Amino acid sequence: MKKTGRFLLFGVLLVSLSVALFGCGTKNSGSSSDGGGDVEGVRKLTVGTDATYAPMESMDEKGNIVGIDIDIVKAIAEAAGFEVEFKNVGWEPLFPAVDNGEVDFAVSSITITEDRQKTYDFSDPYFSANQLILAPEDSSVESFEDLKDKRVAVQINTTGHIVTRGLLGDTSSKIVAAETMPLAITEMINGNADAAVGDNAVIIDYKANNPKVQVKTIEDASFEKEYYGLMVKKGNTEIVDLLNEGIQIIKDNGKLKEITGFDLE
Amino acid sequence: MDFLDIRWDMWEMIWNYRVLFLRGIGVTVALTIIGYLGGIVLGLFIGMGKLSKRKWIYYPCKYYVDFFRGTPLLVQILLIHSAIIPGIFGHSLGPIVSGAVALVLNSAAYNAEIIRAGIQSIEKGQTEAARSLGMTKQIAMKSIILPQAFRRMVPPLGNELIALMKDSSLVTVIAVNDILYAGKVVAGAAQRFWEPYLMAAILYLCLTFILGKLISYVEKRFSNSYVPTKRKNLFSSRRS
Repeated sequence: MKKTGRFLLFGVLLVSLSVALFGCGTKNSGSSSDGGGDVEGVRKLTVGTDATYAPMESMDEKGNIVGIDIDIVKAIAEAAGFEVEFKNVGWEPLFPAVDNGEVDFAVSSITITEDRQKTYDFSDPYFSANQLILAPEDSSVESFEDLKDKRVAVQINTTGHIVTRGLLGDTSSKIVAAETMPLAITEMINGNADAAVGDNAVIIDYKANNPKVQVKTIEDASFEKEYYGLMVKKGNTEIVDLLNEGIQIIKDNGKLKEITGFDLE
Repeated sequence: MDFLDIRWDMWEMIWNYRVLFLRGIGVTVALTIIGYLGGIVLGLFIGMGKLSKRKWIYYPCKYYVDFFRGTPLLVQILLIHSAIIPGIFGHSLGPIVSGAVALVLNSAAYNAEIIRAGIQSIEKGQTEAARSLGMTKQIAMKSIILPQAFRRMVPPLGNELIALMKDSSLVTVIAVNDILYAGKVVAGAAQRFWEPYLMAAILYLCLTFILGKLISYVEKRFSNSYVPTKRKNLFSSRRS
């Protein structure tokens, strides 16, 4: 019994030591990039993204991060007069990365939601999207309601996951939440799920790239229109203002429409 | 340090998601047991195969170990789930089956090496003595070599059990509802990323603690049971 106690104490010491070290590390990195690193008067901001979400953001053969979101951010940067450097962080690490200052802001088809606004600040919306259902061509699914007793594949912790949780329940085992959207769609193709739910741009892009796969897309009016925003650390109004300024400029001069192909109301 | 502030409502949230964590514990334990037992049985054959003098047995076993020990488990899981099983059966058998298959195949490669090394660690004289007593090769292996070798295999096999339990968290990428998956879902729902992972860490720690106890019990059992009967009696008579 005594021995166990000593082991426990040692364990607690270890944990607290590592927590303390971890804490210090993040504090330092936070302060170093808060200023954004001025180089010859032109401000350089680090932008985090999850480059697994074609056509919005993905990696090309040379390892460059490309996509609609990326083009938009580049246009915003040009309009507002700063430089950007993209960093592929991954979807989940993106949130703490914004929190601890590893990146100055994040662009990754991030839908502005009430929940996220509690923890982060967002720029004005720059893109509107809605969820789309992808199902095998012979599937009986015709609306989102039809998925109630079916297995649904989504990308973990995306809007698709959130709406599906709303329909099937927070802890439902019928939600197949894979790491990336391509993996989620593969789950459906392989028969692990009856349908996949995701952002329209990605699902349409999937269909365009895989014409041989027998699938259909289903729109549902119950999906609310969503707006993508650039995500900034809570309270960092300076960067939010800078980004909004750029967004306003590219909205006014038609550059945004040129990139996305539609007007943002 | 604002990043580390503890929000007690986070633990409430984790509690609300307890079904996911409980299911996660069940899935992790089940995957570990299946992966381990399957890995030992398959590993025994492959380990013995690597000791064979026949080339058509030796080489496939050698290449098997080389492949599964030489590629990351994460890659194996993704390959098995998205290519190999759908390729064989025409459709996926579900992420849990893929995960279990990957863990069995991977753990078999490591177990094969442990078993081969264990058998090779028994001095040649033991086989020679058994053979000179008139035992066949098979009987000598079964009743002289393997029991001795097994005692030496117990500690590394126990190690492998703990490693396998932790490695099973990798199946999370193919959406198996294990402990880490529960942590990820809660992290995403709450947009808070360290309490749910801490919870997952605590659960894994509890499981490895229990496994550790189990392993030391088994080790003790095996170190006693092979003490020759006569000496055991000698000790007990002295003590009484």
